[in-house]
Amino acid sequence: MTIFLNQCKAEMLRMFRNPYFIFWSLFMPIVFYYIFTKVVNTDIADKELWGAHYLMSMTSFSVMGSAIMTLGIRLVQERSQGWTAFMKVTPLSSLQYSLAKMIGQSIVHGFSIVVIFIAGVVLNGVSLSAYQWIMSGCWILLGSLPFLGIGVLIGAMKRVDTASGVSNLLYMLLAITGGMWMPMEVLPKTIQAIGAWLPAYNYGNGAWEIIRGGVPEQKNIAILAGYLILFMVLSTYIRRKQEAV
Amino acid sequence: MDYAVEIKQLTKIFKDNKAVHEISFSIKRGEIVAILGPNGAGKSTTILMMLGLLHPTTGESRLFNADAKEKKVRERIGVMLQEVSLMDGLKVKEILHLFRSYYPKPLPMEQLISFTGLSNEDLNKRTDKLSGGQKRRVGFALALAGNPDLLFFDEPTVGMDIAARKVFWDTVKELAEQGKTIIFSTHYLQEADDVAERIILFNKGKVVADGTPEAIKGNLLKQSVSFDAEKTFPKEKFLQLPQVSDVYVQGGRTFIITNDIDMILAKVFSEQLVVHDIAIEKGRLEEAFEQLTVGQKEVM
Repeated sequence: MTIFLNQCKAEMLRMFRNPYFIFWSLFMPIVFYYIFTKVVNTDIADKELWGAHYLMSMTSFSVMGSAIMTLGIRLVQERSQGWTAFMKVTPLSSLQYSLAKMIGQSIVHGFSIVVIFIAGVVLNGVSLSAYQWIMSGCWILLGSLPFLGIGVLIGAMKRVDTASGVSNLLYMLLAITGGMWMPMEVLPKTIQAIGAWLPAYNYGNGAWEIIRGGVPEQKNIAILAGYLILFMVLSTYIRRKQEAV
Repeated sequence: MDYAVEIKQLTKIFKDNKAVHEISFSIKRGEIVAILGPNGAGKSTTILMMLGLLHPTTGESRLFNADAKEKKVRERIGVMLQEVSLMDGLKVKEILHLFRSYYPKPLPMEQLISFTGLSNEDLNKRTDKLSGGQKRRVGFALALAGNPDLLFFDEPTVGMDIAARKVFWDTVKELAEQGKTIIFSTHYLQEADDVAERIILFNKGKVVADGTPEAIKGNLLKQSVSFDAEKTFPKEKFLQLPQVSDVYVQGGRTFIITNDIDMILAKVFSEQLVVHDIAIEKGRLEEAFEQLTVGQKEVM
């Protein structure tokens, strides 16, 4: 058990020391939040609701990005540098190693959520009930699982350059089509229709529902779970194929 | 059965390329074994199969009479692989501490630190800030973190300068004195000769020789006796001797290629053959080894 805790701690340290993580997962979402609630969009009718809505958008944006990019690129890096093979000759099992990565990453995500929520309170005085804060935080944390699945898929790529290119593109596309940067209603109808079936919108929508006093729609949960299963099956298949060599 | 390593009929085929072809050998506990051979001879492939990192196409490899993937085996081995960089984002001290925690009976921290040979300042640096040589030394300390009984070093001195090599081999010799089993691969005959008590010579994916450094060198070395002989010289008689690999005439002189000069001379005199102007030529070891390895580069 101590082995495992040590490993989690090491993974967390590594994330916090990664400048890309700090920039993309903490700095950028907070800057965007400031810009789109304080600088532009100031003529919105229900400012209070918009402040809370966009806070959820940016928190989801942060965690989604870290799940896809930090995990994916790190996996490719570790494999291409021989580290993954090296870990296999230590007594730490692959399961413990992957689990420590996931738990370490989730704790860091929890931290990101808290920091961005605090930024919302400080910048815009967003006020939600304790239940809403906790529920939306938990939703964003748990709902990120399919994106961790995408991260694992990206992690199967051979080169770091490809992995970072693909994950960046995917991240931006998901964020836009999911209504994280601007509300879905602003987007063209076709994109709205497609976006409704992509994981990012369903992820964000769960949190948007919670701050409006509702609960995530069943459709949101079903679609996210579906993607999670799809990505897990895909990555198992790819790993088998890669190991067969 | 006190074997640290047992390999039976191990074969690895990559696509159509036979990287390792039906090799078998065992290594006793406490042995220091060099796996010697040119690049592409199958040394690393064999080590990776021993460690359970590559699946053999056929055959099997066992460590301590168990599967290399078992936890109890991994707790007893230490490994330095080629081209492995260190986990980034951690300081040297942190990564040493982390690795110690993997093993039931790790070496004391102070000892690991002394293996790295790093200054206090460097120990607090992140691993990605270290130079290549420093990384290798940290890798060495990581291999020793669990106080292993069996050590694998795959081409450990590649990229080390002469001073670092000396320190490395001195430490390895110390570890050997403590009774640890050590297996290392190298393409330098000198290193194998200096450190190992047994050399397994690889060539084109096969074991071509296995024995003490002296025996291997004897095999590798081409020694020749040459002299002016009469036409009646019994060439066939010498060719039949097991110690003789070739007899030929060149520029009017007869050459006998052998690994036992003394025996040939004794034979020449006891047979009372009429020969003049006897000369003995001992080949140079490095040259002989290079010759063996020439023409194998394309196998990579």
